[in-house]
This record gives sequence, C-alpha cells and structure tokens, in this order.
Amino acid sequence: MIKLENISFDYCIKCTVCTIYCPVARATHLFPGPKQSGPDTERLRIKNPELVDESLKYCSNCKRCEIACPSNVKIADLIQDAKWRYLKKKFRFRDYFMSHTDLVGSIATKVSALINFFMSLSIVRFFMEMFLRIPMRRVFPKYNSRTFQSWFRGIKKSQSSFSKKAVYFHGCYVNYNNSSLGKDMVRVLNAMGIGIEVPDEKCCGVPLIANGYLKKARKNAAFNISSLQTILSDDTTIISTSSSCSFALKYEYAHLLGMDNTKIFNRVEYITKYLYNRFQEGMAPKMKPVNLRAAYHAPCHLERMGGVIYTIDLLKKIPGLDLVILHSECCGIAGTYGFKKEYYDISQKIGQELFRSIERAEAEIVITDCETCKMQIEMNTPYEVIHPVSLLAKALDQ
Amino acid sequence: MNYDCLIIGGGLAALTCGIKCAGSGLRTGIISGGMSALHFSSGSIDLYGYEDDRTIVYQPFEKIEKIISQNPLHPYARCGMAIIQEAMRFFKNEASCGGLELYHNEESNHFHVSTLGTIKPTYFSQRSVFNEDIKEAFRQRPKIALLSFAGFRDFFPKLAAANLQKSSLFRHLEIITGEVILPMYSKTARNPHEFRSIDIARIFDSERYITNIAEQIKKASQGAVFAGMPAFIGITNYNKIYRRLRELTGIFVYEIPTLPPSILGMRIDDALKRRFAELGGEFIAGDRIVGGEIIDGSLDHVHTENHGTTRLRARSYVLATGSFFSGGLTSGFNILRESVFNLKLFCQQERNTWYSPRFLSTGGHPFLAFGVETDDNLHPFTQDGKTVENLFCAGAVLGHYRPIVEGCGGGVAVSTGYAAAKKIIDACRTSSQ
Repeated sequence: MIKLENISFDYCIKCTVCTIYCPVARATHLFPGPKQSGPDTERLRIKNPELVDESLKYCSNCKRCEIACPSNVKIADLIQDAKWRYLKKKFRFRDYFMSHTDLVGSIATKVSALINFFMSLSIVRFFMEMFLRIPMRRVFPKYNSRTFQSWFRGIKKSQSSFSKKAVYFHGCYVNYNNSSLGKDMVRVLNAMGIGIEVPDEKCCGVPLIANGYLKKARKNAAFNISSLQTILSDDTTIISTSSSCSFALKYEYAHLLGMDNTKIFNRVEYITKYLYNRFQEGMAPKMKPVNLRAAYHAPCHLERMGGVIYTIDLLKKIPGLDLVILHSECCGIAGTYGFKKEYYDISQKIGQELFRSIERAEAEIVITDCETCKMQIEMNTPYEVIHPVSLLAKALDQ
Repeated sequence: MNYDCLIIGGGLAALTCGIKCAGSGLRTGIISGGMSALHFSSGSIDLYGYEDDRTIVYQPFEKIEKIISQNPLHPYARCGMAIIQEAMRFFKNEASCGGLELYHNEESNHFHVSTLGTIKPTYFSQRSVFNEDIKEAFRQRPKIALLSFAGFRDFFPKLAAANLQKSSLFRHLEIITGEVILPMYSKTARNPHEFRSIDIARIFDSERYITNIAEQIKKASQGAVFAGMPAFIGITNYNKIYRRLRELTGIFVYEIPTLPPSILGMRIDDALKRRFAELGGEFIAGDRIVGGEIIDGSLDHVHTENHGTTRLRARSYVLATGSFFSGGLTSGFNILRESVFNLKLFCQQERNTWYSPRFLSTGGHPFLAFGVETDDNLHPFTQDGKTVENLFCAGAVLGHYRPIVEGCGGGVAVSTGYAAAKKIIDACRTSSQ
C-alpha cells in the first residue's frame, strides 16, 4: 500500500539540480546523488522495500539538496527516512557510543582527565581504528571536567534577579565538551539584562537520527518537547547555541520523527536570531572593539534554516571586526559522519574547497555556529574556530 | 531584517536587479526558493528572435523599436529603448566582472546550435559559442565535427548533424560525427543513467585530463575546424580550460547546451551570484516567501517559510518569481493566480482557452503570455485594482509577452530587472533627501 501522506517526492521534476549541489556526490562516485537516492528510488522502495540500494548510506544529511531544489521536495528527509526504514540495521558499538552522547558524556566528564589522556595516545587510537573503525587521524573533542549543568546549578540563584528570561537548550556539546560557550552565552544575555533558565533536557536526537536510533530519538524528542513546553510561560523564547540542535527541535522532530512540536515551534530560536531581535529592541550590550580579522563559515543546517542572515548581521554589529564571509561550502564532517572510517576520506575531500578559501581569507580566526564544523576546521587548518556568541562575549565592555 | 531593496526570486531578472541595487550602495537582499531557471537555460541571452510568422529577426533593436510603438503593454515598452540598451551594456559588464565574458554580433543577432541541431537566433553568447574568431572562421565554410562522450545520453551527434544540414547555413558544409572516451569513464560507468553534463563538467573544472581529451578531440575531428560538443568545459575554471583546449587542439571547441542541468546556464548563474556577493548583496537561499501585508497601497513586510513570524521589511520590493515553471504563477483547474500576493493577472480564466490544440503550434500557447499586469512603472495591482507603490515586477512573472514565440525571455528579464533597479534607486534617493 502506498502511504498517501508521504508523496512529496512526486513534485520532483528530475532536473538533477540537487545532485549538482550535493557535496558528497561531488566527492565520490559511490553516492549516486540525492535525486537518485531520494525521489527516484523512493517510488520503487514504497512498492517493494527489497529494492532499496545500499548507496544511500553515503548521504551525510547536510540538506544542501533541499536548499537547491526548485520544486520544494524534502530530499534529505526522504533519504534519512529510507536509510533506517529499509536498510538492514547492523549493531555497531561505535555507532552506539557516538550517538548516545548523554550516556557517554556523563561518564566521560566524571573521568575527563583520564579520557582526554587516553584519547591522545596513538596506541589507543590505533586500536580504535582497528576495532571500532574510527580513523586515527580524526581529532576528538576534549571532555570537560564539569558539566555545564552542574556549573549552572551553582549560579542559578543569580538569574532570578532578571525580570526578562530566556530558556537555554544547551545541548550535549556545551554540556560535556565546551561549557565555556554556555558560560559566554550566560554572560552575554546577563549583560543585556536577560536571565537564563536551563530546562531538564536530553540530547536533541541529531546523532541518534544519523545512526539509526530513531526510537531513542523519538523518546528524547518527546521528553524535550514536554520539558520545554512546561518551563516558564508560553512567550519565553527557547534558545540554542547549536545550529543543528535548533534545526532538530524546530524541523526534524516534525518532518522526520513525526512528533507534534507545534507548541514549541514558534518559541525555539537559534541564538543569533534571538539576539538580532533583542538588538532591534535596543537591548544591545555595550561593546568594545575586538580588533580582529575573522572569516565566517555558514554551517549547512543554519543555511537550511535561513539563519545565516542573522549571524552575519550580528557579527557586523561587533565593533572592530573585519569580517570575511566565506563562499558557502560544506565542511564535510556532517556530525558523526566524518568520524567513521568508511566516510572519513569523503568527508576530508568535501572540505578541501572550504579549507582553501579559509587560507585565502588571511584571517586571524574563523567563526562558525556549528560545533562539528569547528572540529573539522580546527583539525584541517591552523586557525582557532569560535562561536559568534563567544566573540560577542569577548567584545563585552565589562 | 530591514533592507533598502528585497528581491523575491533568484533568477536572471532578480540577479540583474540585485547587482544594480547593491552596486548603487543599497542594502539588497535576494530570497530564492531553490535554484533558478538559469539552470535550465541555453546560457545565451535572447533579445528578440522571431517575427510572428517564425521568420528570423536579424536586427533585434530595430524590431524592439517597432514592438514598443505597436504594443505599449509589452514589458519592453515599459522599459523604453534607452533603458534596454543601457541594460544590455550593464549586463555584459557585470557578467564580465563576475568572471564570464559575453559576446555579441554588434547590433545584430547571431546563431547558436541546440542539442537537436537546430539553430536559434540570440544576442549574447559565451566565448565557446560565439566570438569574432568563430564568426570569421565560419565564413570560410569550415569542416565541422560533432562529437559526444561515450556513454553520454543527452546528445546524439548524428541526429544533430542531420538537423543541422537542413539549415541553409550548414547545407553545404561537411559535417562528421564521432566520439570521445573519458579517461576515467570506467569509474562513472556504475551509474550510466546518472551520467549528466554536470558529471563531465566537474571533471573539467580541473586540468587533470585536459591533454588526454584534447588529443582525442583532435583525432576524432579529422581535420575539422569546429568540434561541436555537449557543454563540458567546467564552471569555475571555464576561461582557462577553454583557452588551454584551444591551444592544445587548434580547433574551435564549440559548446552545445544540453538537457538540464545546463552547464552554460549555470555559468551565468555562478558569475552573477559571485558579482552580487562581491557588491555586498545578501543572497538568502532555500527559503520561500509565504505572504506579506499590503497596507494602503504599499507592501509593509513579508514573511517566509523559515523565518516564521519574523517580518522582513524593505523600502522597495521586487517580485521576480518567474512564470509557471518557477512557481511565480500557479494554476488550478479553472483558476490562475500569482503565487505570493495574489496580484492582478493578465490572463483568461477558462481553462480551454489557455493552450493551443497543437503542442508545437507556431503561434505558441496563450498561457505563456499570461502574467502580472503592471502600470508603466512596473508596479502591479491588487485584486481590487489598487497599485502597490513600493513593489516592482520583473522577468517572467510579467504578462503581455511571449518568451518562446518571440525569443525574448532573457532580454525581457535583464531589461525589466534593470529598469526596476533604476526606479528603486531613484525612489531611495528622493526619499532620503
């Protein structure tokens, strides 16, 4: 039986424009491109699931096909869905460990010194490549010794003095790997007279979706939706400093996981859009010149959400920032994709164009909104990569 | 977000308009839902190609002069001759700044060859399609080779040759056909059905295989002066690769536009977007305007799919969403409408009057002339007949012209995009004084 609710692929006119702009298809012949893996073969798959082609596993879900599509087909969603609906699932410890960020993160932060030390040993990485198929050359993010949540519990009281509030969905990366971004974020909003509330949250589900743990992703989504729904009043904005987390909360929950997120949809905003609106209301904090030349890289998922204009606008408001906007290219890492041996070379090849343009920009620092883009760029170029909010925190006149 | 000028649509008209506005120092945004119809175009810009009886127009400007006096509703008449000429000079110059040189046969049309081997009159073409050297070489009645790549299914040299020989220009020329084998073909053979012009073009964005291909072209052409091939000479590195091929082969490698995606069209898209970004324009890709509010004859704000309740505002707006193919106009069973603001259309509502009974009718189909009705300043009207003062329409969304029958789609897009930009710049200057 053909499910009539899922026939958006019927709008595909076979123009192949998506395949032109697919970074994976450009890097490897192993991936036949979004048109073929998405709308073309979907009509075969819905008739007979046996007709699924393994090659669709190469899709990195960067969503550039959806940006390019003149006919508004949700190509990447089709492929993601087909990947887990039709392909045979094999249990891989690696995929489990990379996608269950909450579980791994909460353990790793407890023994962070040990973990960070072990992960820096080539012998450990050698065995990881051999047994887990995690390439040795891939640089892993470090773990914090203290989670953002536990830090926040310590300063929670100070937030009650603010009359205006925002809910901060910090995500796993801030919680376990880079709590300084979360702290910067609190500093910036506090300087603008806005207090922060941190909800009970679980991983947004992006790595779970990417690794086929859809059931667990749905469970997390249900938890997050209900937790975010009940915290504070209906008009408090829920902000996120991760472009991919906000994309999941806003779009993937509904489109891919089939969850009802209407109650939080209009409240969830990526941080730069939130800041843009507050700046418009005259709430911009006092800033001092940063005197930096920086190159800005727009992450794919932020571009898909249409959020890039807000980040650029925000950056333009930071005094003393000499900004070079890089031509929009995928960095290649695509979350956990670039951490897997089978995709590592593809991921590196995709990023080459971006790395070259960063070199040409002659900047002192690179700015990007996405945590994994940061990992990829820091590994492949000599530059430090920071989040727009951290740069804003640096500019605060305090 | 506040702009001086916000353009809805991202094709030829929108980019021309955006470049002019951004270049004049206006804060300009372009919102484009998906890639534009340039990806499906020949990569040549037609100004005016055919009389109503299908005879060829050789002097497009003379013909446009006549059209302007005969049909005051035609978009060309809204622009006026001086603006059209200025727009063409501007476009050539800006494309060149974006890295793409365009060539024209002074004031006259020249011809380019289609995939099926028919010849089409046009005004601007890229270096591999028309330039003074090609014109001179063609005068000498040269031998011509039509070559394709082994396994490429979007160009058939024998069919193209047979059609070419029907034309009086080519009737007495020797035309041979042949094939070139890509050095890395075995790698792509896994997906022959996905072997499109873009796959070949990508290979030629680098110089890696160029000597090998040049040798093969030379051999397969058997002494011909021209080698007509499906467009393949890359996108970002086109000028250099073309020059290298010319040096290595001594032959004019002539590019023929193929089925979508069209390499020649994408080159224009790439050059214009590059130029727009260089001038500080903001290109917002992959988003769609879902509506806007017209208050007292002026468009106050628009909102988009991605930005939800956040309003985008501008002093002036341009509607350049294209025709039916690009989604600027939509049709239901017995209804036609403009997609974004439901503006007043020039059209007939009864379905059976939309089309001609014959698909390839010489008169074309009536629906192709449907589009937004505007005043002389390119301002559209709401359904109750009120003009929208700060909204301009440009390109294929306009009515009262027949892009295919007249062979003028590109020219109208460039001219109206440019004309709209001029009006916006004037309006911004007077309002800020």
